[in-house]
Amino acid sequence: MSNHPELRHSHYDVVIVGAGLAGCATARALARADRKGRRRILVVDRYRDVHPRFSGELIHPRGAQILDDLGLFSSLHAVGGVEVGGFAVFENADTPFVDLSYANVPRERPRGLSIHHKDLVRTLRRDLRSDPIELLEGWAVADLLREGDRIAGVVLEGKSGRHEIKADLVVAADGKSSTVRKLAGIPDDGRETIGFTAGLELRNASLPRPGYAHVFLGAWGPVLAYPILREADGTIRTRITIDLPRELPVKGPALKQHILRTYVPFVPAPLSAEIAAAIQAHKGQLEMAPTVNLPAPSAVMPGLVLVGDAAGCSHPITASGMTMGLRDAETLGVQARRRADAPEGEPWLDAESLRRYRSEHDRYVPTRQALATAIYEAFRGGEDGSRAIRRALFDYWGSGDTARSRSMALLSCSERRPHVFLSEYLKTARHALETSLVPQHASMYPVGDRMRRARGAAKLAKNKLGLVAQVMWAQVRPGWLTRIESR
Amino acid sequence: MFDRDERAESSASTAAAAGPSASLHMGTSPLEAGLERARAGAAAWRERSGHTPPGRGASDVALPWLLHVPDVGPTCEVLLADRLFHDLRPAERAGLLAFVRGTQDESGAWLDAHGTPDLSLTALGWWALRDAGDDPRADHMLLAERVVHRLGGAQRANFAVRLWLAMGGQIPWAWLPAIPSELFLLSPRVLLSPARFSPWARGVLTPYLIIARAPARLQLPDASPLLLPHNDGQPVAPRLTRPGLAGDLLQAFDRTVKLSRKLPRGPLPRIATRRALAWIDEHQQGHGGWFSVRPTLLSLVALRVMGAASGDPRLRRGLDHLRQSRGQARIPHGRGAGQPALAQGVGGRSLDALGRLLACGAQESEITWLLRQELTQRGPWQARADAATGGWPHEPGATHHVDVESTCAVLHAFGAQPEDSSQVTASWATARRGLDVLLAMQEPDGRFSRFERGESEVFMQGLPWTDADLLAHGRPDDSEHLRVTARVLTALASAGFRADDDRVGRGLRWLERTLEPRLHEQVSAGALSGVAHLAEALGALAPSNHGLRRELEQRLRGRQREDGSFGAAVDTAHALQAFVALGHTDVQAQRAARWLTNHVMRTSADELDAWSRPVAWGLGLSPAGFDPSAGPREIALALKAYTAAGGR
Repeated sequence: MSNHPELRHSHYDVVIVGAGLAGCATARALARADRKGRRRILVVDRYRDVHPRFSGELIHPRGAQILDDLGLFSSLHAVGGVEVGGFAVFENADTPFVDLSYANVPRERPRGLSIHHKDLVRTLRRDLRSDPIELLEGWAVADLLREGDRIAGVVLEGKSGRHEIKADLVVAADGKSSTVRKLAGIPDDGRETIGFTAGLELRNASLPRPGYAHVFLGAWGPVLAYPILREADGTIRTRITIDLPRELPVKGPALKQHILRTYVPFVPAPLSAEIAAAIQAHKGQLEMAPTVNLPAPSAVMPGLVLVGDAAGCSHPITASGMTMGLRDAETLGVQARRRADAPEGEPWLDAESLRRYRSEHDRYVPTRQALATAIYEAFRGGEDGSRAIRRALFDYWGSGDTARSRSMALLSCSERRPHVFLSEYLKTARHALETSLVPQHASMYPVGDRMRRARGAAKLAKNKLGLVAQVMWAQVRPGWLTRIESR
Repeated sequence: MFDRDERAESSASTAAAAGPSASLHMGTSPLEAGLERARAGAAAWRERSGHTPPGRGASDVALPWLLHVPDVGPTCEVLLADRLFHDLRPAERAGLLAFVRGTQDESGAWLDAHGTPDLSLTALGWWALRDAGDDPRADHMLLAERVVHRLGGAQRANFAVRLWLAMGGQIPWAWLPAIPSELFLLSPRVLLSPARFSPWARGVLTPYLIIARAPARLQLPDASPLLLPHNDGQPVAPRLTRPGLAGDLLQAFDRTVKLSRKLPRGPLPRIATRRALAWIDEHQQGHGGWFSVRPTLLSLVALRVMGAASGDPRLRRGLDHLRQSRGQARIPHGRGAGQPALAQGVGGRSLDALGRLLACGAQESEITWLLRQELTQRGPWQARADAATGGWPHEPGATHHVDVESTCAVLHAFGAQPEDSSQVTASWATARRGLDVLLAMQEPDGRFSRFERGESEVFMQGLPWTDADLLAHGRPDDSEHLRVTARVLTALASAGFRADDDRVGRGLRWLERTLEPRLHEQVSAGALSGVAHLAEALGALAPSNHGLRRELEQRLRGRQREDGSFGAAVDTAHALQAFVALGHTDVQAQRAARWLTNHVMRTSADELDAWSRPVAWGLGLSPAGFDPSAGPREIALALKAYTAAGGR
């Protein structure tokens, strides 16, 4: 028995570190898999309430379906979660937006879910308390217990001191800066801070496509706007996020002026005026969060599983981070269900379960990361090639519903067939070459300029070939390879 | 050169040395008081230029003042062309003649903006006065005649003078280069097509084809005394090509073209003329003029030659535009230096100067007016620049030609609005279009063009014509392109673009490449207005340890004088702007700011209005002129930037 009154046991089947979306969903998925109630699950979080920094708030239909399957969707909807119909993407503020609707994606829910992160976490934690799950808030992981190469538990640190908790499996769901990952010694090679995201909330914002998430291009980085909460009186709160470079040109109060001058003008009216007014009225500094690219590290080691952002994250432009976390929870839940009747004395999630989890995880995470990186690069449009790709994307999306639905299926993590990914890549590359050669406005555009653009597009497409190959490989990779690697 | 600097500077220096002015406003710092006074001066210039503030009608401004005072050339040409149009009112004629007389130097020459006797200007000045009835044996006429002879005779003057001489029947048309009419039948994609000339050259050479083919003949007074004769009394024929084999071959080609005109060539010349005429019709802008004054004058002559009656609306609108482009100006140098007179501008009111005046502190209605000046019609500049219609022209009412410098100035004015202005959000959409235009005007090597892409790299410019330079708008690496590129980079940086954008990076690299070998010419000895623009670009885009930025800063510091100034008030204002742009409000910047503050508080409004340095933002054959509103305007901008940066 533990010597701390908040803890019922000193040994758990699973200890989940991090009570955010991925942690709570994993806990619920595991609890549901444990039909006979034989398992002890502990969820630990360092914050008594929620993490003070704003975080992901948009969940694609695939993730919403998982929430529904886990019985969490209705409570999130009830506290004000807003169903989102898709994305309205503006190449610039002066042209009509491209409607990337979820409804066009076959075999998926027609809507995703968007919810204020703090409400999301509070609701999920409240729901967890009704499960046979122990939730321990205000405790941080100080160390990991090891038995040989295997992680055998965690050392928690709170106001009352340190406590050792033994566990068959530790699940790290503590985000992109995962402490558990660091303590386990899993290298995060390639981790890179891309920049920062500044966040702002508006009430009853005039979104050009109500009920949609919006992406506005044209400024240094994309500006996103999406509804995050429907209040009791019907007021809709909208999140505005502004993508800032890593080397902030100004800091402190001047940042607001910088955003007003260099980002807000690229948002169409009247939303731009509303954002400007909100920034001017905002007291103190804007909420900021770093944007990080973390190429997926090995998501599994003996006694440890990484889920959510701890297992790899990318720029939030595709808003797929939360959906990925939910897919991790679902995948782990499937493995737990498979092992629900495991005999006493054997770990619930054995090495084979973890291998299967990793095999599945390694298929969808690289696709998501490749897409996010490519889309961010194209949407930023920092060079000829990426601008050509951006133009090509809009040109392609303008070519018909099929193009939009296929892209949306990939972007919303609903499509994972490799040939679809490959064909979308080839189509975009072809459009990029075409749009590079044909100017939008100039009647006698010099051949040299056309060739420069085309060269840029071809170079970028060529550079992405490795990425495409990596994604394709992730999809077709035979499962036995993971088994060999695990040995 | 009209130069009251030294006198004003010495008095200002004395005043500065005497300590703070006793006439400072109570309760405000000397800096604030100086800024307010400079702002008031800038506001006065806005009114004076004919930019009527809200609540006042246009009639309240009796006769607007020019924001850019060119050399005497356009004024003389308008006087000569009036022989054909009979449009000048007696008061206008008298005013223009006063400008011509006043700008004649004691030596008899007419000087260019840099103070050098100019053959073409002197020939035009002499002829305009002769046309006004001045006795050719009068001293001032004889002096001018001698200057013309000393410089090689009128036959060696520039293309415009020779064209007027040919139209006046003073020289044979063969003394002008032949333009094969077939050129006008070529596809615009062909390198030799007139569509590849700079817009100014196109505006001049298209009517020239019609005028030379007709040919036009104006009843102008005898100008033969200006032609340098042989010993036999016959004028020396000019050489149209440069010396050398290539020049000789081209000269032979020129003769062949001229001879071939006498042979039957079927319908081609007629079709070419019809095309040229159609081009003239199509390119008359909303304000009635063509690209600038010289293209306008020649287009009107061409229309007249082709039979347009004096009541023809195209003629009427064109003449009205010429009238609106006239304004009062202080005579910059010469016998009447400092006296006001009526001068012909190279275009309408410069939106570049007006934009900077409005950046000193504009009212909302003035920003609304600026928004209305945005280009909304597709123009020839979009042939090679891939951008939707937008940006601002050189002058209000122009509809065909974008001007990158005006666009930068207007964007600057938008950025200088107070945060609570209702026009802030209204200006965003137009500013976005303006930025797209700026980006589209980038050349492959990274520099930015001013009016059209490819304007300074015309294929035919490479041929050894003596007038070949007219075909292009400057040279790719000249001071103007340095300035334009720096201004565009500054505008882009203000809108959030950074050096990590390949277009900005390319522009910055071009700036480095072009500026580094010419730092002495451009920074140590060059105009401080140019240095300020360069500093603004480098300050916004290059890190503080950037080599070129540091070098520029050091050279700038080296130009400060003992009293804190950098020479004239305008130069000191530009230097202060450069300091602030580079992120400095240190001792040197403080001394410059203090000098400016004292200067502005102790100098009369008239003195503040005086120009100090020629500016190189003219057009065509009048490449430089004077910027009379620069004094209060640049001081206000400098002190405003210094205050905003926390300077005291």
